[in-house]
Amino acid sequence: MTISRPPAPPPTPLVVTMGDPAGVGGEILAKVWRRREEGRPGDGPIPPFFVVGDPDWLSSLCPIHLLDDPTQAPSVFSRALPVLPERLANPVRLGQGDPENGAAIIRSIERAVALTAAGVASGVVTLPINKHVLQSAGFAHPGHTEFLGELAARHWADAPHEPVMMLACPRLRVVPVTVHMALRRAVETLSIDRILTVARITEAALRRDFGLAAPRLALAGLNPHAGEEGRMGSEDATLIAPAVATLRDEGIDARGPLPADTLFHAEARERYDVALGMYHDQVLIPIKTLDFHGGVNVTLGLPFIRTSPDHGTAFDIAGRGMAREDSLLASLHLAGSMARTRAESGI
Amino acid sequence: MKPFIGITMGDVCGVGPEIIAKSLMDGAVHALCHPVVIGDTGALERARDLVGAPFTVRTLASDAPLDDAADPRVALCVDPGLSVGALPYGEVRPEAGHAAYEFIRIAVDMAQSGQISAIATAPLNKEALHAGGHLFPGHTEILADLTGTTDYSMMLATPKLKVIHLTTHVGMLEAVRRITPERTHRVIRLAWEVLTRSGMASPRIAVCGINPHAGEHGLFGEGEEELKLAPGIAKAKAEGIDVSGPWPGDTVFFRAMRGDFDVVVACYHDQGHIPVKLMSIDEGVNITVGLNGGLIRTSVDHGTAFDIAGKNIVRHESLIAAIRFATELAPKEGATKRPRTSP
Repeated sequence: MTISRPPAPPPTPLVVTMGDPAGVGGEILAKVWRRREEGRPGDGPIPPFFVVGDPDWLSSLCPIHLLDDPTQAPSVFSRALPVLPERLANPVRLGQGDPENGAAIIRSIERAVALTAAGVASGVVTLPINKHVLQSAGFAHPGHTEFLGELAARHWADAPHEPVMMLACPRLRVVPVTVHMALRRAVETLSIDRILTVARITEAALRRDFGLAAPRLALAGLNPHAGEEGRMGSEDATLIAPAVATLRDEGIDARGPLPADTLFHAEARERYDVALGMYHDQVLIPIKTLDFHGGVNVTLGLPFIRTSPDHGTAFDIAGRGMAREDSLLASLHLAGSMARTRAESGI
Repeated sequence: MKPFIGITMGDVCGVGPEIIAKSLMDGAVHALCHPVVIGDTGALERARDLVGAPFTVRTLASDAPLDDAADPRVALCVDPGLSVGALPYGEVRPEAGHAAYEFIRIAVDMAQSGQISAIATAPLNKEALHAGGHLFPGHTEILADLTGTTDYSMMLATPKLKVIHLTTHVGMLEAVRRITPERTHRVIRLAWEVLTRSGMASPRIAVCGINPHAGEHGLFGEGEEELKLAPGIAKAKAEGIDVSGPWPGDTVFFRAMRGDFDVVVACYHDQGHIPVKLMSIDEGVNITVGLNGGLIRTSVDHGTAFDIAGKNIVRHESLIAAIRFATELAPKEGATKRPRTSP
């Protein structure tokens, strides 16, 4: 065990998007800001951040400081929540998404990415949005992540941007190779190319943003017992095994296909830095079972750092003081740590 | 009154006799039940000496009356007299495979005649079983054959989570194909029956979805939840069973462990096995549910471990857990109930 020194804050503050103000975003943001001095072992205090959001809404939640210049954020952070104004069309009604506020919600995301591209912020933490509310305001993207991919293309024309979702908690990191599709379709569309793409992006991100010199990837088998030599489905032998062989030829420390049922207990988790699952529930079940409240959604494969809480707007409980801020807190810590690592590695 | 629980020895060349000898030394076992070993006396004595256990072994015939004032210092062993106790550890032997089969056959007879309330099984070796002339893939199929059962299910249990499966050892595409409203209804009933017979008043059963977010109202998937699961759930509900779902896989197991549900119905092998093995690699118990006559069989979750057999290094926690769940799930007097309407 090495003696740890308190980590330095990231080089520039993080930027937090407004998300849908009718949801739990504001509530958890204020709760997190009140805990700003608290550290987590190895993490130090919460890295300074500012919000691109509506001042009237935010000032109803905690003391705010209106920024002219985002670089002031760290110096005021201990006294007030630093806010770069992005005004809503209508006052917030908790629990009721308002399409007329959609434009400001979207602009908050656009400005956060632009500020990160300009080097003013070191990473983006997004609060939850509601797709249905934004779609009625003309938002044409399937989700948050796809929109961020498009913004990346706008600001970093030459950089690759293939968003890959990772979920992380202190005890486990997981990446689903297929995400939001039917299980049957996930099996039918799984391909060697898809596995390779996701594995390569994951490996590169763990080196650059997580400070791992040689990340160890564990690839779960698709079928029970990883197919047991073809007795239970052929895909483990025909798709996953060849993909692992290719990755190893490239010098990536990948293993698999490994039986998924014995991949997630404490002892097994010691043997890898990230587990790649072949379908959504294969990795969502273990991480949500292990850490229901503290998981972070990290988007790998973008030219900028992006984390977000792994829950939605939760309109049904907005404003009732019940929403837990654990996931947002962990998202800020992780984005700060990634920004620091990226700055230090210089990759 | 504590129940009599049969413990079958499995393959005598594996770690079965050792984990049994260690368990018989464990006060926890005697606090739960009256253990009755169904195995080979010589093998049990050899294992007892290996682990340094203080008990003596009393050999019984399978129809001998059992005495509920039994002395924990005397291990009861129902022995078919195949004299396999001197076979070498760590080797595949047809005699051991045949004996393992006989232990199970006797245990089923004893359960059917009411002498024992449930069976906990030590591991057998598939290769030895086949060499001994019994061509079954494993314990479950032997038990199904001996009891004339065609429709059963695998339950996994830990102290905080019970999961029962709609499908198990088939590929994922085949698993999705095999899920039907009838199977869903059947497995919900199996879960309900085992838990009510064991004395639970009104078990709360949750059914997990097939697709991400349980399909999110048709957004992910082709309506499998509505087509394959919902009608089975509705039918069980109409029978008075407290069942809900389909629930998203990523939250239902956490909710069950928090206490919202008593058992989760998983659609496929890994969906149920991942959360159970994640939490309790040593405590997970495999239970065969739905055998005719209401027979409960629990199993250790490891194999014969030939590489370490006879070395007194094997851990016996898994057998203790199997005995614990055999006791917990054994049918209780007067607990047999029917839902509001029969199926």
